[in-house]
Amino acid sequence: MILRLDQVSKSYMRGGQSRLALDSVSLELHPGELIGVFGISGSGKTTLIRVAAGLETPDSGFVSYKGERLDRMSAKQQRRYRRREVGCVWGAQPWEHGLSVLEYVALPLLIDGCDYRTAERTARKFLLACEAEQCLGSDPQRLSDGERQRVEIARALVIEPRMILMDGALSHLALMEQEGIMLLLKSMAREARVAVLVTDSGAGAMLGADSIRYLSDGKLAGEDAAASMGEVVWLPGVSPRQPAADA
Amino acid sequence: MSAKHALLGLLLHRSAYPYELADRLQQRLGPAWDVNSGQLYQTVSRLEQDGLIERVDDAVAGREDRHVFAITGDGVDEFERWFEGATASVRLSRRPLLVKITLAGPERLEGALEKVAAYERDCASNLRDLAGQRETIPVDETRIRADHVLLRLNLSADILQVEGELHWAAQARETIAWLLAHDVVWPTARGLANAMTERDLNRKGAREEIYRRMSSRHIRSADEPPQGPDDSAKRWPRGSAA
Repeated sequence: MILRLDQVSKSYMRGGQSRLALDSVSLELHPGELIGVFGISGSGKTTLIRVAAGLETPDSGFVSYKGERLDRMSAKQQRRYRRREVGCVWGAQPWEHGLSVLEYVALPLLIDGCDYRTAERTARKFLLACEAEQCLGSDPQRLSDGERQRVEIARALVIEPRMILMDGALSHLALMEQEGIMLLLKSMAREARVAVLVTDSGAGAMLGADSIRYLSDGKLAGEDAAASMGEVVWLPGVSPRQPAADA
Repeated sequence: MSAKHALLGLLLHRSAYPYELADRLQQRLGPAWDVNSGQLYQTVSRLEQDGLIERVDDAVAGREDRHVFAITGDGVDEFERWFEGATASVRLSRRPLLVKITLAGPERLEGALEKVAAYERDCASNLRDLAGQRETIPVDETRIRADHVLLRLNLSADILQVEGELHWAAQARETIAWLLAHDVVWPTARGLANAMTERDLNRKGAREEIYRRMSSRHIRSADEPPQGPDDSAKRWPRGSAA
């Protein structure tokens, strides 16, 4: 196991009232595993990712990485965790920073102390691996949603993290792009031994994950049973194995 | 779902003529419950034969359909049994249009695109009708009527279902357009040709190299605690290459 959320709760103040975004959520992530979590807007998906990435501190419960609790790490160790061990991919955001595609993907390496030539070479290779090399000469503002997402994945992957956390990065894509990206994530998980956690508004976008969980009002369905490889936890009463009916 | 238990549920609250039941089904549950009169009378007749409903007045001569029906004790028990029973899971549909798209093959794919467009227009029209019906439900300004609220719920469910159809039809249109625009391999009687292009091979090579390096590093350090914070020089020695 590489990441563990243990009875994590997190609330926010909104309009003068406290709102529970995560309610005693427990989750385990293993190397080579791809887990999907879906839920409607406001169900706590983004908070789940932010807590797992060490960007938010839970109100109760804890997050541990390779057996070590994040809240017991030093500030430097936490920074290292966020910078090296976790790659985050967020949903479609405007391209505002004026960087080229290559510069954008190479940036985490440059921040990490890599020299410019090596960073560029590495970034090109990761763009190729993510099937986004055709974006290299393109105006970033004109990239399609699918291309943009592949560039973001390349950027998250370029530091060779042990985990990839993706939030809301699939359901706005065309079906073919969703499938392509899920295939990429699966191969990454299986062959690079990366642990992948994907959240989105629809379960349909993450079919192919080893396990799919449902998040509702901050509670994770099936949290009393460990996710097993190949298990799909659906809403109560919904099963993909019902015999087909004539239309 | 058949109309049997819906009719029992309506009679649970009030006796009715069969033609009234037909109106009430739609008024309470929405347009999906537009049952033709032949079917309705057949169901009423079966319910009476099973002792679940009974006639409560004398028929008008020559008008056997002009009976008021009421639910019996057995009918109430049957309704309760059904209500407490497990609700059926969602059933996946076999969509004729999707079968056509899937089996179209390259020669009929453009034709399939036109069929999807026609289906989308049909769904959009359906959606407009449902939305229009939802608008006709009176807005209760003083005391809220439960039957109005529940009818809105039924229509909302129908609207969401049609929206779902529009959603997959849009995906179907995008998928067909993608297939038409890309050089893809179609299964033939001789099986799939080995169709990796040079670009595919380059991508595959890059992935294999990266994944091999990452997985061996991750496996090697699986049991090690995280390295110290300042190890950039170790990670990026001068002249290192990806």
